[in-house]
Amino acid sequence: MAQDDYDPTPDNDELEAHLQTKNMVINLGPSHPAMHGTVRMRVELDGEILAKVDTEIGFLHRGFQKSCENVTWTQVLPYTDRLNYVSSLMNNFGYLNAVEKLIGIEIPERAKYIRVIASELHRIHDHVTATGALGLELGAFAAFLYGIEARELITDRVTELTGARLTTNYGRIGGCNRDLPPGWIEKTIKTLDRCSELIEEVGALLTRNRIFTDRCRGTGVISTEDALDHGFTGPCLRANGINYDIRKAKPYWVYDRMKFEVPLGKNGDNLDRYLLRVEEMRQSISIIRQALEQIPDGPVIIDDWRIVLPPKQEVYSTIEGVMAHFKLIMEGIQVPVGEVYDSTEAANGELGWYLRSDGSGRPYKVHVRAPGFHILSGVGKMVEGRMLADLIPTFDTINMIGGEVEQ
Amino acid sequence: MRDLKRIGMVLGWFVVLGGVIFTLMAAAYIGAGYVEQFGLEKLQVRGVGSLVNMLILMLAFVMVLATLLTLAERKWSALMQDRIGPNRARIDLPIPIIGPLLAKQSLAGAPHILTDVFKMLTKEDFQPAAANKFLFNLAPMLAFAPPFALFAIIPAGPTVVVAGQKIMMTVSNPDFGLLYLFAIASLAVYGTSLAGWASNNKFALLGGVRAASQMISYEVALGLSLVGMMIAFGTVQLAGPTGMTELQSHYLWRFGGEGGFDIGLPAWGILLQPAGFILFFTAAFAETKRAPFDVPEGESEIIGYFVEYSGMKFGLFMISEFVEVVVLAAVLVAIFFGGWYLPFGNEYIARIPVFAEHGWLMGALYATVFWTKVIAMCFVQLMIRWTFPRFRYDQIQTLGWKILLPVGLLNVFVTGALILWDPSLRMLAIVGLLEIAIVAALTLVPRPAERKAAETALAHAHEAPAPAGGH
Repeated sequence: MAQDDYDPTPDNDELEAHLQTKNMVINLGPSHPAMHGTVRMRVELDGEILAKVDTEIGFLHRGFQKSCENVTWTQVLPYTDRLNYVSSLMNNFGYLNAVEKLIGIEIPERAKYIRVIASELHRIHDHVTATGALGLELGAFAAFLYGIEARELITDRVTELTGARLTTNYGRIGGCNRDLPPGWIEKTIKTLDRCSELIEEVGALLTRNRIFTDRCRGTGVISTEDALDHGFTGPCLRANGINYDIRKAKPYWVYDRMKFEVPLGKNGDNLDRYLLRVEEMRQSISIIRQALEQIPDGPVIIDDWRIVLPPKQEVYSTIEGVMAHFKLIMEGIQVPVGEVYDSTEAANGELGWYLRSDGSGRPYKVHVRAPGFHILSGVGKMVEGRMLADLIPTFDTINMIGGEVEQ
Repeated sequence: MRDLKRIGMVLGWFVVLGGVIFTLMAAAYIGAGYVEQFGLEKLQVRGVGSLVNMLILMLAFVMVLATLLTLAERKWSALMQDRIGPNRARIDLPIPIIGPLLAKQSLAGAPHILTDVFKMLTKEDFQPAAANKFLFNLAPMLAFAPPFALFAIIPAGPTVVVAGQKIMMTVSNPDFGLLYLFAIASLAVYGTSLAGWASNNKFALLGGVRAASQMISYEVALGLSLVGMMIAFGTVQLAGPTGMTELQSHYLWRFGGEGGFDIGLPAWGILLQPAGFILFFTAAFAETKRAPFDVPEGESEIIGYFVEYSGMKFGLFMISEFVEVVVLAAVLVAIFFGGWYLPFGNEYIARIPVFAEHGWLMGALYATVFWTKVIAMCFVQLMIRWTFPRFRYDQIQTLGWKILLPVGLLNVFVTGALILWDPSLRMLAIVGLLEIAIVAALTLVPRPAERKAAETALAHAHEAPAPAGGH
């Protein structure tokens, strides 16, 4: 028999006894250190190889969409904090932007700048958490804590701006509910200086670590077609080299006045996603710096008592003020009948809102296209046939946030 | 200012620790001397003194150092990560003046050791219903005992005369020396594998299998890595007049100080066998099952082989890891860092009359040097553990079989050839220094591939396809 014909599989020889093996099924989650939020993965293991991955969500389901239908348009805002709780400001603004589009109002310049600044702050907040957690779960704990220092500084700035660390509930339909606090701009610039130092430090700790790059390079790969089919957006899609960033593709607020680049990867693996996030943080810092320089003076919210609560002075002293206040609180904003789809570029990708109004003060339908949901659906394709250990960095770099996946 | 205070505090603790070590080791020498004398006179038995060695080295040093390492791991990692570290546990004694004063001090987190002990001992000892009871209980013991036994052949101080008896500061000095180390080191994995299997838990089973495969792939490299040292010194013993420690005190090149303070380049293992050192360190580090080799634990993946253990049984697994760290540090010091010897001035110290007269004084001094080196090596291990991410299971195998093993083989042949050429070991040292220089250069200069990886993200921004368009 020629060497080439030799087939080492035992099926070739009818006298060979077969070793019966079967795959081991284990449940990763819903309580598992690697499963952020609460998601369960039913994993079929062939040795250490992932034969099959079933992602099961629903452990964090809170009935977000139904809840929204029972409250006024303004009262939906606190619910949006709880979607992607790592970048809640972006959810706030995304929702507000969609409602404003439905009503057809233009917010003041200063409010637009504030929204850009706050969004980018939370983009850094989100990315630094994702990259830090990636290091943490691969065992590099130090990188995570350096990242957390940056995150904590940003949280402090956000607290000064919104009054809350995590559930910001910032912005109102028509603008922002409060202006930048005095001295905030200087503090933010200092914060950014420290953040860029820390980001470089985290980058140095991870990017130049051979073990880290080995674990990330070529793992969690998804092909461009699959990524598009699954509806990937944001860093996960750009890691495949597709230049789709809503800030560039359909500039909203004042993004068209900012100079920034959209970093792109080409392999669609964990390393590209990681590097892309690090680079996006640098770009975000540059955007915030530009915005802080350009920000004009002026009102932060439109002056229309049908949409915005009148100033307290007016409420207490004039009958018009009292009436407007009463109508807004009791009935809500009278959004014209119609429907709208609007999207903004959130930290993880396209955050889309489909809103429908029946002319009453409450939404008829609120649907969120959360980026994480679509990306999570592709996890199986990314890791099947790979090692169990590859699931961990993949799950980190897609940055699944339980709150937005399970509304 | 705050940093200075912290550094001062750390140094202060080290001085205190050094004093404690010195006192304990002096007690060990004197105790061993008199016990030996007593045994010889009253019982007509030789070697009773090593009982004292055993008690002091194993219980007082290895055990206490391992316990302190649990605290050090938290404090040192805090230092590396710019945190404060544990400082909440306080001792609140009902004593008038000292009590409230103590309660105000965090004592550098030392009370956390006590709280740990109480927690471990008082927790429910849970056993899964379907677990194999006998093996389940056996596993922690099997994991705990071997690292301890390993320390038996490590000499912690010089052989000196106390109370008219020659006292060798080691538990035992068998002829087969390092072979004992190899034999015992590979036993520890039985505890891990059994724990994984007996728990009747799939995660634990994965951990146990990973531990076994890791042990197999590193055992060979571990053995090969020390062959170079065995060839160079022509012995497998660590202690004794012809042991490795003694031979490492000789100078390769002497720069002077005849009759005065002697200075030179000593024949330390790290200079003769840097490749062997890296191989041994890597392989032995893999056996301690700590990051970056903590796949059997793999906290974020499979939680670990001890997932079903609670209370002190888990504590045994945990403390055995720390014991392994201490013992590995001691082995490294004994084989590669000149044991208890200082790099220079040993002859000068030996001539000082006080030391010549009181053997225990010199013994305690050198033993302090040894333990200081051990603590330094523990620090290095902790630094690695806290900065490196974890390997993937197959990457560990690749590293073990495809890199460490061939390099180890090559190292054996190169070492043999160099010693054949120049039996004075000087040629070996020159090659060793060259190797160190090459490794340093490779580490400090970024390789093009890495730079490229760092810039991938932006490089493609310009040649990217057109935007996919909005809505």
